Parts: sequence; C-alpha cells; structure tokens
Amino acid sequence: MTDSEQLHPYVEWIIREARRPVVTDPDARDRVIEAIRVEPLPRRTAVVRRIFAPRVFRLSPVTGALLAAGLVGIGVIAGAVSFNRDGRVAVEQPSVAAKPLPVSDTIVKFVFFAPRAQQVSLVGDFNDWDIAKTPMNRSARGGLWSVTVPLSAGRHVYAFVVDGSSWSADPSAPFAPDDGFGHANSVKLVGRGSSL
Amino acid sequence: MSDDAADVQRVLAGDVDAYTALVDRYYDRCARFAVRMLGNRDDAEDALQATFLRAYRALDRYQERDRFSAWLYRILVNQCRSVAARRAHRERVFVREEALLLNAPDRTPVWSGEDEEFVQRVLTELDPLLREAFLLKYIEELSYEEMSALTGVGVSALKMRVKRACDRLRERWERIKHD
Repeated sequence: MTDSEQLHPYVEWIIREARRPVVTDPDARDRVIEAIRVEPLPRRTAVVRRIFAPRVFRLSPVTGALLAAGLVGIGVIAGAVSFNRDGRVAVEQPSVAAKPLPVSDTIVKFVFFAPRAQQVSLVGDFNDWDIAKTPMNRSARGGLWSVTVPLSAGRHVYAFVVDGSSWSADPSAPFAPDDGFGHANSVKLVGRGSSL
Repeated sequence: MSDDAADVQRVLAGDVDAYTALVDRYYDRCARFAVRMLGNRDDAEDALQATFLRAYRALDRYQERDRFSAWLYRILVNQCRSVAARRAHRERVFVREEALLLNAPDRTPVWSGEDEEFVQRVLTELDPLLREAFLLKYIEELSYEEMSALTGVGVSALKMRVKRACDRLRERWERIKHD
C-alpha cells in the first residue's frame, strides 16, 4: 500500500468527519494547569542531575601536581584544627550530612483528580490498605486531592478510594498487575533519599 | 529556536506559565486524538491529564533535537493505550461485581450531531491497534516514519494496519449498502 492509494469514498467521508475538532469540557484544560501547578518544577531534577552527573576532567601534569599538593595541604590543616586550644584532641562528631537517611524519610506527594468526590483516601502496602489511615486533602479550587506521606525506598503498590467504596488507580502512574481482588492499583518506585 | 523549544527552556528556567502556552498549543489536537481513540470524553480527559503531567515531569529529559509535538504524541499514544487497558480491566471487574455497575462512569457521547456519533461508533468498532494506526495516519496526518517513531512499530506493519482499517471500513460500507 502506498500513501497515495485511492481511498474509498466512504472511508474518505469517515476521515473528513473524524478530523473535525472535538468538544471537551471547557474546565478540563484548567484542571490540567491546576494539576501542573502543584507539581515540583522539572528543572530541579535537571539541575541535580547535572551536578551529580559523572564527568571526566582532563588535567595537565603541572595542574595535577598542584591539585595534589593542595589536597595534602587541606588534610594537614584539617588535622591541625582537630585539636582544641588546650591541646586536647576534639571528639569527632559525625556530621548530619554524613548520616544515611532513614529509609522511611522519603516524602512522596500523591495527587488525584476527583471533582465530585466527598472524600478520597490513599491506600497501599505502606498503610495496610486501610481507608481510614491516609485521608487526602481537597485543594482550595476544587477537584484536586493531595497528601504527602513518608515512604521507604523501594516499590509500592497503591490506589485511591473515593467516598469509601470506589477504588481507582492513579491515571498518571504505571498500572500494577491485577491484585487478584478485582482492583486496579498503581506502582510507585521510591529511591532512597528522594523527595516528592 | 522554535516556539516549543523556547517555551520548554522557559519552563526549565522556572517559568511554569510557559507550560500553559504548550498546553494551549496542543490541547485541542491531543483531545481530538484521545476522544477518537478512546470513544468517550471521561477516558479522553484522563489520558490528556496524565499526558500533560507526565510530559511536565519529564521535561528535563526532552531533547531539543526531537520535535516537541512528536515527543508529546508519543506520551499521549502510550497514555491512551494505558487508559484503554485499564478500562478493559475495569469493565471485566464490572461484569463480576454487579454492585459496581451503579458507579460506572458517564459514557455520554462527545458529539451531538448524528454524523459525528455515527463516525465515532464506526471508529470504535475497529480493533484498537488498527484504529490507532488509522487515526495517526489520516486524522493526525503523520508520515509512516513519524508513526513508527511514536509507536515503536515498523513502517511495513503500520502500513498493513492502516490498510486493514480501510478494508474493514469499506466492508462495513458494503454491508450497509446491502442491508
């Protein structure tokens, strides 16, 4: 078949009709924008990635030697300041930054759109699928519901429960395999120390 | 630099409003594809919201050498497939659990005109893979190479799907004519 193949007049008529613009809910676009505004800026991840991206530095032998000498100097100074004024050796305190993050310290924000809901709960393997444990908060402008929860690193399966009974997967997340109970669930992958 | 690329740069520089310009530029076109593909407004809006959200979250991974529209369409096509799969799953659940039928989402047709309703019904009768290829080719007017980049399906397979979709439509016409 070629692009220029003659189409049947009936098929041409279907194409012509289907090319007409569709009428959608005029508020739907606004809801998209509203959902975007509660998202973190995408540039943050770009900046972080750029900072931590592996890079190759090429140094001339002279620059390399100077850099090595500088590093040795820093080590000597650091050794010197580890003594107090009275000559006692200071007890080394582990810095806060050096501590590994507790695995449950990753904060994740869940957002769900349900304009007609009276209440929405987040359920998942992290709260024993208990509807009462993690109620979501409705945004000031209406249909958007959100909640932040601390999660451990790893793979989490979750869903939203609307008005106590209607189970819904997250339309913006990967779909989890059937849980065997006829419910649609979603998957969230959480990296250690990541947030939102 | 294209308008799209400039808007992407503005968003990455912290200007969220620039994303509104991108949404405005592509919303209607994406809505047409989603509605034609999924056949009802509720599912189409789910797919659209997920598409624009995912694109926003992944914006720093967008490469300027790609056309933004093609990149966005790739996300849209995948979201429509996900929503359709989820709907199929949901409908299977509804069959098993009669009580849930009471909460079934509104399936109000998008169009008011008879021709438009009829065309949507005809499209919905097509197998989803044939419908997707037909819509990308003749409604979105993409080249087979662009379609291949979007769907990950080879050009010859896509040509075959489009041909089969046209054949199915023509066969339908023959049946109508003889009824």
